[in-house]
This record gives sequence, C-alpha cells and structure tokens, in this order.
Amino acid sequence: MNRRWLLAVVALLTLATPSSAQEPPLLRWGGDKNGGAPYIFEDENGKLTGFEVEFAEYLAAELGRKPMFVQNKWDDLPDLLGRGDLDIILNGYEFSQDRHAKTPTTIPYYVYSLRLITRIADKDLTSWADLSKATVPKKVGVLNGSASQRYMSDRFGNQVIIESSETVTEVLDLVKEGQRLDATVQDAPAAVYYVQEGRYPTLRIVDEPVGYGYYVILTRPGADALREKLNEEIRKAIRTGTLRQLYQKYHIWNGAQQRLAYLAEQPWPDVAAELDDVAGEVNAPVAPKFSQILDKLVWAAGMTLILAFASFPLAVVLGMLVAVGRVYGPWVIRTPLGVYVEVLRGTPLLLQLFVIFYLLPQIGVIVGSEWLTGLLSLNKYAAAILGLALNYSAAEAENYRAGLMAVPRGQMEAALALGMSPATAVRRVVLPQAVRIVIPPVTNDFIALFKDTAVTSTIMIVELTGLYYQYKIYPSLVIELAAAVAILYLLMSYPMSLLARWLEKRTSLLAAGGRA
Amino acid sequence: MIRVSNIVKYHGPVRILDGISVGFGKGQVAGIVGPSGSGKSTLLRCINGLERFQEGEVSVGDTIRLVGGPVSPPTKTLLTLRRAVGMVFQQFNLFPHMTALDNVLSGPVYALGTARADAIATARRLLDRVGLADKADSRPSQLSGGQQQRVAIARALAVNPAAILFDEPTSALDPKMSTEVMRVIDDLAGDEQFQTTMVIVSHDIPALRRVADVIVVLEQGKVAFAGPTDEAFRPGGPAATLHD
Repeated sequence: MNRRWLLAVVALLTLATPSSAQEPPLLRWGGDKNGGAPYIFEDENGKLTGFEVEFAEYLAAELGRKPMFVQNKWDDLPDLLGRGDLDIILNGYEFSQDRHAKTPTTIPYYVYSLRLITRIADKDLTSWADLSKATVPKKVGVLNGSASQRYMSDRFGNQVIIESSETVTEVLDLVKEGQRLDATVQDAPAAVYYVQEGRYPTLRIVDEPVGYGYYVILTRPGADALREKLNEEIRKAIRTGTLRQLYQKYHIWNGAQQRLAYLAEQPWPDVAAELDDVAGEVNAPVAPKFSQILDKLVWAAGMTLILAFASFPLAVVLGMLVAVGRVYGPWVIRTPLGVYVEVLRGTPLLLQLFVIFYLLPQIGVIVGSEWLTGLLSLNKYAAAILGLALNYSAAEAENYRAGLMAVPRGQMEAALALGMSPATAVRRVVLPQAVRIVIPPVTNDFIALFKDTAVTSTIMIVELTGLYYQYKIYPSLVIELAAAVAILYLLMSYPMSLLARWLEKRTSLLAAGGRA
Repeated sequence: MIRVSNIVKYHGPVRILDGISVGFGKGQVAGIVGPSGSGKSTLLRCINGLERFQEGEVSVGDTIRLVGGPVSPPTKTLLTLRRAVGMVFQQFNLFPHMTALDNVLSGPVYALGTARADAIATARRLLDRVGLADKADSRPSQLSGGQQQRVAIARALAVNPAAILFDEPTSALDPKMSTEVMRVIDDLAGDEQFQTTMVIVSHDIPALRRVADVIVVLEQGKVAFAGPTDEAFRPGGPAATLHD
C-alpha cells in the first residue's frame, strides 16, 4: 500500500517537472522599495516601477531569465545575498574595494553625485559653504549608511548636526516642515525626482553636485559566470544607448554618465583604484578601523541607557495611573482607558514612534497653525522617550491591573472600614501590595524596553543598534561590530536580569513570611 | 447610639435583609446570632457602609445618617460613618506590607490625618492593651492568627470609634487562639471606662453569653428576637437551641 502511494507521488512529480523545466530560470534581484523613487517604487496602480526595476527587467530578459524582485531592508540585502536568497543586489549600492572583496561587483551602471537640498525660504543656506558658516550648526538629514552620510561626516562632521533616517521622503518631509531639519543631502536621482521635478515645491537643490561615485550590482562570491554575463549586458546597454534612454526617461541622465562608456571598457575593478585618486570627486567608502568607532559605540550605549532610564519610569507611572483608573474608576474613565491600552498594545512601537515623530506635526500643518506645528514637532529624543513610555505604559497598566486584582478584596474593605477615602486606600494599602506582586514582570519589561530602544533608530536616534546599522555597510567591520554591540547589550542588561531575579526571590520570601 | 431602621437588602432577587430594625446603645455589647445565611454578616457590612442596601436607614448618634436606595451614598457620609463605626473582620485583613504598629497607626494617620508622631503613643498603648507590645515591629506574616486578630482589634480601636463591629472574629482561629481574642473582647467589655459599643457576630455562644448585654437573633433576614442575653438563652428561649 505504502509503495503504491510512493509511486503515485513520484508519478505526479514526474508529470510536474517537464512544465516547470520549461520556465526560464529566475533572476532574483534584491532591493528596498522603501528607498523610494526613482529607484524602486510603486506607481499609482501599485505596479513596481523605477529605473532600477526597468534595468533589472532588461538584464533578466537579456540573460534569458525571469526577473523576481525580492524586497528587504536595504542594509540587510548583502546578508540575504550571502545566504543565497538572492542572485544579485541592484539598488543604489555604491562601489568600494571593501564591498567588492565581500560581494564582487559588476561594472558601474550609474554615476551618482550628492545634492544639497534646502528650503526655498531659507536664504541663509544656498551653498555647501554656508553649512560651515552658520553660527548655529545646521541640522542635515541623510540616509542611514549612505554615501551622503559619509560625505557629510568627512567634510562637515564638526560643523553640522547629521541626522540619519531610513527613507528619503521622511527626511524631505522634515526639511519641508522646517522645525527639525535645515537641509538634506541626497543622491542626485532622488534629488531630481522629488525636488527638481516639483514634488516638494517648497524645497530646492542648491550649489553644484559633489561626491561622485558609482552604483554597481552586487553578486555572490563564486558567481563569476553570472557577473561576467551581467558585465557584458551592462556594456551592451551603455554602447547601444539603452541605458541612456532609460535614464532620460527618468530625467536622471547627466554629463557625468559619459564616464560609464569609459569605465565599461576598462578592466574592472582595477580602474576603480585609479578613480579613487581623483580627490574630492569619488567618495568611495573606506572602512574605518574598529578602534576608530569605539567612542561612538560608548556614546551609543550611553544613549541606549538614557532612553531606557528616562522612558521606563514614565511608563510605570502612566501604567499605574491607567491601571488604577481601569480597576477603580467609573465606566466613563474605564472605557477610554481600555481603548488606550488596547490601541497601544495592539500597534507596533515602530508605528507609534513614526506617528509621534513624523505625523503629529502634520496636525498643525493641516489646521494651518505654525504655533501648533512647532509645539507638536518634538525633537527626536523627546519623541523617542514619549513613544517608548506610551507603548510600555500599556504593558505596565496590564501588569498593575493584574497586581491590583490579585490583592485580596478584604484589604480594600479593611482600609475603607478604617475611614480611609477610596483614593487613600488604593494609594496606601492596595497599590503598595500590587507593586510588590508585579515586580518580576515589570523588571522583565524594563529589560525588554532596554532592547526595544533599538527601534528609535527609525527616528534618527543613534543608539547601539542604530550605530550598528550605520557601520554595517563595511563588510570588514561587521563581525567585530556585531560582537561589540551584542556584548554591550549583554553587559547592560545582565545586571537588570540579576536584579529581576533578586527581586523575584525577595518577593517570594515576603510572601512566605520573611522579613522585608 | 446605632439605629438600624427597616433595612432591606437584595442580592439579585433574594431578599437578604428583610426589613431589619434594631438599636444598640452607647457602651452596650450586643451579640448577633442566627443560622448560616440568616444575614448576620451582611447586616454588619450594611451598618458600616461596606454594602449598599435598597431601603431603610442606619443612623449613628444624632448626626450620621446613611439612607438606603439605588444611588451611592455621598462619600463624605460614608467616611464619617466608617470613622465612627470600626470593623474587625473574620480574616483579620491586616495590611501585610506594614508592621503591627503601622497597621494600628494606619487609621489615625491615613484616615484621620493625625501626625504619626502624635499617634504613635496611643498606638503602642493599644498594642499593649491587646498584649502585643513586644510585637510592634513584626509583620503580619510573623504573627499567629490570634495575634493578628488582636492587632486588628487594636487597629479598629485606634481611630477611637463610637462602635466596633466584630464579624466572626474567632471563626478563623483554633480554640486556643480564639480564647486569646475573646479574652481581649472580654477585657474591653468589662472595662467600665470603655464606652465603645460593640456588636459581635459570632458562633461562639459561650463567649457571647459571657460578654453580651443583649442578643439579636436573625432568621431568614428578619429579627426573630432582640433582648437581654439571659432571656435569649433561657431554656426554651429564642437562642437556646444555638450551639457553638
């Protein structure tokens, strides 16, 4: 019987194989559409488009393959490639020797430059030089781990405040709003698409392009045949003008692209070293030494501690008040507090931070009140602390609610029978007991919040995880960096774990009748 | 002193207290007896305002009046009533996060607003009176059941109430501890200087016969008898068939 089944399965597989064998092989190309237009984005019909999408489709067609887009966080794409989940990465990755050694690159398919974007109304900031002249340091937004971040750090590190974000539009929105960023530096394609083409009419591109570099396709080590084929197809696209037409369609063709023709005929990547020497032009990332970023690691660890220690007490106080309101309040209080807890528990911290930092000021914009916009434009630290506190207040509210419910009813009655007001009875009798009961889960929540501070990197805060993502683009640094970040987290959270265990022990001793 | 007039309390459709009217005079020791479910504890909790009742009223002295009905009584009335009428519970209900002394101080300090320094001497004297002067710094978990109940009595006395209601004060205790607690109540009842009214719900009939001036017998939420203790327990009397 079993054998018959086995035969049936084999037959089915045999039947299925010929049709699938006729399908062209896939070209799994990785990118991050959150990076935005004009690279990879969805048009108004939800269709994936962008110059890199069209280029990937072109390459796949020329290679006789079927393109398959794989979406992933930009920084993590090389990891996915290393795991074998992707064949190539085609998403604005710039060439560097370091990167080439880890993920061999093709010849360049685009010559990028960096553009400075400011508000039209900002008359003080009309050139790169103005960044150095400002008496109050200008706040400049860049994409995390991008060439613009390195450029700004190298050239203006001491003169401006560099804020890193995950997406282009978030940064542009903040510059437009004018409260929290003065300018942004973006790769030319994004600057053209969003600013030059009028999608942000209050912003403008100023001064000349700087920091030229090369977008290349990343491949897996050992995939030499594929890389060679890709190089051939890129050369062909350059020679035939296909690439030029594509870039003209997206208005990103410029004089710098003439270099592609020259580079295409040179031995790659040997020619890159020659290009590196053109001072002030090529901005190839050079991996810093681990010792050079130690101070940044310590600073980031400090930021993690500050965020955790500033937000958790707030979360506890808020949670306690919410719990008391939910347990003892009238229904007009209980109902909204119930909604508060469910909304905050049921939505991700990431989304809450996003709403507080990016969307809240929009209320002022919508009602046309500059005063309100200013009031709601919380700085990133306040937004992070508030977001973490609100999110964890819901969890703490549930902890304390459980604690309050666990205190025997007779305790409240005894306090009331003595003539205490209900509020005093809760404060002096019930709550102190509830607090003891919930010490272990609350301490565990503190450890969880400690690690959740990592999410604040989405609102431009550089704490430990944010720093890791900033430097993760340097393959030679990544192992040391990951280990250091993990060790720092452990060093900081382990004492919390010990404290939690000690408190648990102490609480159980108290429950058993030991001396407090 | 305490006047209960025609109290009716429902629990769902069941009439737990069915028009109870009874009075307790100043300094009087009253025992409330009756079969289980007759409404003894509920009556005490209504007198203290821990439970609402639908009809009737409770008055303490000439100034405190708690009226039954569908609406919650004013908080101020409840606070005044509870400060005048203390309560000792079957399960002691001491506050476990406080020492014995702090338990006794909790009423004066948190309910009456007396400064701790001013209340501490009285609190120690009360602990001494219940025989626990040496346990002032002990936590409830370090005390026996009898000791805990004696602290609870001291705690109820600390707010200097006009009356104390005892709700089965010994039924959670073994006979030895029960004796300890009843000895304290005996002592209070026998003290002519002590003018606090005591209303005791208990199944400890011998103890009640010893300390109570009057006995109220409840049956199915109604007063079946209210009169002198001797009369209640005389052969053939309304409480004669009740045993501890």
